Amino acid sequence: MASVHKPAALRTVTRATVALLRQFSWQELLHHPWRNLAAAAAVMLGVALAFSVHLINASALSEFSQAVRSVNGQPDLELRAVQGSFNESIYARVANHPQVALASPVLELSSFAVAASGKRIALRVLGLDALVVAQLAPALMPVPDANAGRFALFTPGTVFLNPAARLALPAPSFKLQSGLELLDVKVAGSAGAGGAPLAVMDIGAAQDLFSKRGQLSRIDLRLKPGTDRAAFLTALKLPAGITATEPGDDAQRVSNLSRAYRVNLTVLALVALFTGAFLVFSVLSLSVAKRAQQFALLGVLGLTGRERLLLVLAESSVLGLAGSAAGIALGTGLAALALRLLGGDLGGGYFSGVAPSLQWSGPAAVVYAGLGTAASLAGGWWPARAAQKLPPAQTLKGLGPAPVGGNGHWLSAGLVAAGALLALTPPVFGIPLAAYISVALLLIGGITALPWLIALLYNRLSPWVAQRLLPMLAVERARRVRESAAVAVSGVVASLSLAVALTVMVASFRDSVTHWLDVVLPADLYLRTAAPSASSSTASETVFFPPGFVQAMAGITGISRISALRTTSILLDAAQPAVALVAREIGDPAHSLPLVGSALPVPAGQTAIYVSEAMVDLYDARPGTVFKPLSRSFSQAFDAASREPRAQSAINSIATPEAGQAPQFFVAGVWRDYARQFGAIAMDQRDFQRLTGDLRVNDLGLWLDPQASSIDVEQAVRREADRQSGAGALIEFASTREIRSISLRIFDRSFAVTYWLQGVAIGIGLFGVAASFSAQVLARRKEFGLLAHLGLTRRQILLVVAGEGAAWTLIGSIAGLALGLAVSIVLVHVVNPQSFHWTMDLIVPWLRLLGLCAAVIGAGTVTAWLAGRAAAGKDAVLAVREDW
Amino acid sequence: MTLAIKNLGKRYGDSAVFSHVSLDVAAGEFVAIVGESGVGKSTLLNCMAGLDSWDEGTVMLNGIDLGTLPDDARALLRRREVGFVFQAFHVLPHLDVAQNVALPLLLLGAPDDVRVQAMLNAVGLDGMGARLPQQLSGGQLQRVAIARALVHRPGLLLADEPTGNLDPTTAAKVMDALIAQTREHRASLVLVTHSEAAAARADRVLHLRSDGISA
Repeated sequence: MASVHKPAALRTVTRATVALLRQFSWQELLHHPWRNLAAAAAVMLGVALAFSVHLINASALSEFSQAVRSVNGQPDLELRAVQGSFNESIYARVANHPQVALASPVLELSSFAVAASGKRIALRVLGLDALVVAQLAPALMPVPDANAGRFALFTPGTVFLNPAARLALPAPSFKLQSGLELLDVKVAGSAGAGGAPLAVMDIGAAQDLFSKRGQLSRIDLRLKPGTDRAAFLTALKLPAGITATEPGDDAQRVSNLSRAYRVNLTVLALVALFTGAFLVFSVLSLSVAKRAQQFALLGVLGLTGRERLLLVLAESSVLGLAGSAAGIALGTGLAALALRLLGGDLGGGYFSGVAPSLQWSGPAAVVYAGLGTAASLAGGWWPARAAQKLPPAQTLKGLGPAPVGGNGHWLSAGLVAAGALLALTPPVFGIPLAAYISVALLLIGGITALPWLIALLYNRLSPWVAQRLLPMLAVERARRVRESAAVAVSGVVASLSLAVALTVMVASFRDSVTHWLDVVLPADLYLRTAAPSASSSTASETVFFPPGFVQAMAGITGISRISALRTTSILLDAAQPAVALVAREIGDPAHSLPLVGSALPVPAGQTAIYVSEAMVDLYDARPGTVFKPLSRSFSQAFDAASREPRAQSAINSIATPEAGQAPQFFVAGVWRDYARQFGAIAMDQRDFQRLTGDLRVNDLGLWLDPQASSIDVEQAVRREADRQSGAGALIEFASTREIRSISLRIFDRSFAVTYWLQGVAIGIGLFGVAASFSAQVLARRKEFGLLAHLGLTRRQILLVVAGEGAAWTLIGSIAGLALGLAVSIVLVHVVNPQSFHWTMDLIVPWLRLLGLCAAVIGAGTVTAWLAGRAAAGKDAVLAVREDW
Repeated sequence: MTLAIKNLGKRYGDSAVFSHVSLDVAAGEFVAIVGESGVGKSTLLNCMAGLDSWDEGTVMLNGIDLGTLPDDARALLRRREVGFVFQAFHVLPHLDVAQNVALPLLLLGAPDDVRVQAMLNAVGLDGMGARLPQQLSGGQLQRVAIARALVHRPGLLLADEPTGNLDPTTAAKVMDALIAQTREHRASLVLVTHSEAAAARADRVLHLRSDGISA
């Protein structure tokens, strides 16, 4: 029988819920359209932000992978240089291997194209063999223009541009930068490869043009069917300086290295959804409180507690579904707009230069809409439970439920303890997953502990105000109905704790970046020949100051000291991005590097290196140990056979390392590097030059005489560059103050979104307070009426309500501040190091935080006072006669 | 405390609630007002306390014309001189019994725990001062309301259907307590009621109609 009746009962419940939703709930929605719209809009905003971030990242990643595929083609294996390039002598051996079907040699360079207008454009140059490239990477096949000669493909100084480069360089010729020289090239046609600006030319012509005769960056291989790759590589016996990578590693590497950043952005967007859930919670709490007597009446008429719960949950799901649908539409629009205006880069710099088209995903839309609805349902759960637990008779009499005690604080303490433990857990796939859960548990534990905190504080305060009516009324209500008080201020606690955490994190990061800039920018003036975006990776090999130019600087009047910096990249692990190797004058590392801890004495016969924090995380380069991966890669990368011909001439006068002996690199210290997330190694310039013979320089720091004018020095430097190579215009100058101010401006712009989020969160929290107070004040009209009968003036009643607002938001602010500080510790000491591999000092801007708390208390008090005005009007007197 | 009402009239828009109501209540007198539902008994009570406005006539408390006083002054007068008892008890749910009773004293800035305790004893709520309203019965709640109405020794007690929510036995006990305490404090008592039993205990019974009030 039960099985027959159960579906029938379920149908009845569903029918009743739908009928009540159409009648009872719809009327409420019509009465307060703006309030309900605000809740749906908050859900919409959260879903839109999260979905647009997902779409932008997915589109950028897809576009990037496509560009990588079109540039790299479809080889089975790539043989790459560990650093820079390798000697092409291996090519013949590889190409003639019986298991190699096709071998395509490539010389890859990053440089700058200088247009006729003088504008510099970052350009990737690929030298390749046009006869074989079509079979491995058809998109790179040079296609001569109709008016180009028959042998344009092989003509020296002739390039073929992809669409992005063609757009940026429409003229038939332009100049390419190499060191401080400008080389003339002609455009003879195009190449189909997508992505950032790219020029293709014959490999021999490229070697000649950039003086890299006999050098290759990689060899793309197609193997014969059935070839065992591992056995093939073993048989090939690759010489030092060359490593084998799988195609697709590039795209995977970018996906990996941007993952933590993308997850951080998504989490930030989900914070908006979290606050949206609070708004739904506030609106429905208000709505349920207002309709308490109606729910009680429905209860008397036979609507069960479970049906009341379902009805309120149905209301919250309607708000969630409406908000989510609008959020998906808005998110799609935002993503399309952002892709058009910003390309695919959201500020991390991982996808700069990529111009993706929108890749809309139905399953992703369903997931994010589901998240929005789930957030709305979570927000509606507590009001739904309140509707379920209403005692109909008591509520009809206006007394409400009896106060309940309980030991919920043990659960809260457990959640907080679990959160603290999770913060000690290592990252998962490079993502601080446990730390995010830790933050969530700290927030939930803290918020659920509010009733206990309220009792703790106000039970002690109560005797002190027992004889003073207005404070007594405010305090007694707060402590006796602490569950309601906790509900009212939970939004404030959540939003304030997030605001405090973000404020502390941003202040800590900014302060640490400021100190870092002080240490890494000791000179008065800096000069370089390339913008930072291109000076990373391979551009530092193409765009540099030659040794002669650096030596000439010493003779310029007004310069008292010069500091040269050489940056090159070295691939320590094929699965990781290349590491930056920074050679500079170190002297006393405690002063010249932003060290974390102190420098260690270097054992005799070993070379000191100072690693960035990322090196410790990613390569286990611990201080006091010999860093073997660098020794291995160094001996491969800087083997005499692969030395740059240009540098070779300068090497002759320098002592070279003992032949066949790998250098021993001792990790003498760890330093903070906010510029390179995936690792940097600093070594003294003399050691670098001794070991490599490379005398090139990428950046120069100049200390000026006290009486010298920086403008005069700049002009003298340009004159010297013009004298040497006619490239004075290619030199960029920046004073320390300029670099500092630009860096901090970029920093502030990057974090502007966090201020906006804080504002939204606080606004939503206060809306929650307003909604809760409105609900409670409406439910307490009889109480105000009674107070009026007893002789309280309207002003005094408003003072009671405002006093309650102050008392509640005070406790909310204390809890929000404490929770925010706990969350900020997790963000500063766990999330940041695990996401980006750098640490920072915790800075607590107390004045700003206390100001924030005071503003929240003030706003909460005013909000309560405004909510009280409506309910404490003249008609409140008559409320004592209202018959429920 | 004396109460003098002359020619009082009250309208809601075009609809008259009552008119030409005149009555005097002497110090220490117990007057019951009866009448049909909707005739304006509770409204008249609110006018006596200066809680509601009227369209014609005067209300004098101890010779003070309430019509000439601003809202705050009426509130101050009510605080000192008037006590209220309602049909629906109206106690603050988040204050315990003793705190509820002590409210008028706190309003006057004269907290007095001894008097509160004595008042609780007098209405039969000895030992219940720490209980919350949710833990009391209807009869007990009305006793709390009576104690609160009299604790500050007002000259006038206004009771609006104080036994309307109670069973006859409890109602009789509550009326006993109300009358005994009013007499003991020598306060005037105006009782609005439908209960013949309650009205029968008054010194005078007045019938309110839409066009006036009469014995």
